[in-house]
Amino acid sequence: MNPVLEARNLGKHYEGFSLHNVSLSVSPGMIFGIFGPNGAGKTTLIKLLAGQIAPESGEISLFCLGYGNSEVEIKDRIGYCPQEPPFYPDSTPVEIVRFAAPFFSRWDGAYFYGLLDRFHVNAEKKFRHLSLGQKTLFSLALALSHQPDLLLLDEPAAGLDDANRRFLLDTLRAFVADGNKAVIISSHVSDGLGEVAERVLFIAHGAMALTADKDDLLARWKWVHFREGALDKALVANLTALRRHPFGNSGLCSDFPTMSVSLAKAMAAGDVRVENARLSDVLVQLTQGG
Amino acid sequence: MFIILSQSSPDPMYKQITDQVRDAIASGGLAVGERLPSIRELSDALKTSAITVKRAYFDLENEGSIITRAGMGSFVAEIDRAKLRERKLEEFQCELQRIVRTGAKFGISLDDLVRLIAGIKEE
Repeated sequence: MNPVLEARNLGKHYEGFSLHNVSLSVSPGMIFGIFGPNGAGKTTLIKLLAGQIAPESGEISLFCLGYGNSEVEIKDRIGYCPQEPPFYPDSTPVEIVRFAAPFFSRWDGAYFYGLLDRFHVNAEKKFRHLSLGQKTLFSLALALSHQPDLLLLDEPAAGLDDANRRFLLDTLRAFVADGNKAVIISSHVSDGLGEVAERVLFIAHGAMALTADKDDLLARWKWVHFREGALDKALVANLTALRRHPFGNSGLCSDFPTMSVSLAKAMAAGDVRVENARLSDVLVQLTQGG
Repeated sequence: MFIILSQSSPDPMYKQITDQVRDAIASGGLAVGERLPSIRELSDALKTSAITVKRAYFDLENEGSIITRAGMGSFVAEIDRAKLRERKLEEFQCELQRIVRTGAKFGISLDDLVRLIAGIKEE
């Protein structure tokens, strides 16, 4: 099956910041997460993918089409939510939608107002009077309601409360459930949205730190807690983010399936305990760790 | 003493501490009369709050596993090792029960189980 989106060696330069050599491929049915610290280049990348800015190097194709020849068709098929929705602050959701809907060939007004109801967003209220969470939800409803084949969401959980965040995740899972559509999300908090992503891309200082299937990644990365002296020096040398204290030591192991053989005995004796790492543990180690 | 606090454990933090300190006493890792780390020391090392460690020590003291002397700290109590062992034995029995039941579910008889255990010992 052809990828929904494919990007190769993307580069974009600004004064003081540049994004270089980012490649990714998003298959149908996939939720793809872009994670990284503040200022890593997530928004620049999403804007490139959404065709809001043009790359200086590299190629992007969506639905096997390029922005050069098929910009209108591509934009009709993607639902893009920027980090800061660019709506006129004095208009109401009703006015904004009246303006935006005609641009899309598959606009579903009933679905849109159903979503606003579900999100408790008042359609008659001026945009600038909506809370941060409601602005996010409005923007999301707008993106969903023209029935896109790909959702591109930049920090979609910003300002959402726990219940709405959960609803967002359920909505994304339902969106890709038929196996034809895909979602790309970005966030600077990987543990929050990472839950829903099957594939992740870590980005830092404008460059890719890693791209991997999340389940594979978390099967390989584990916390290893060990009693002092329970592990060979060579094994300890394989651990990163090492933390020693008088009551035990902990480190991150990046290839547990290989290491587990040499840990088995100490684990059985209770001198080593292994725990799942979180996505953020891996991300922080890869992007800031030494 | 080897103490690890797990975020994913269903047990609350203070209980994880009491359980592991008690285990260390039962297995001889902590000797009678040995001084326990101060509340501050342990909470710093485990990245948990002083209140959590305080609660764990309070429970350990109430059950007689440790003694706290004002201004001096907490110490492993002169405890009845036989009693402690009995308690561990009970826990062990529970674990065995679980294993026997799991075995029964898959048609593994007691004889099989005994043979398996003997096999482990020989390794």
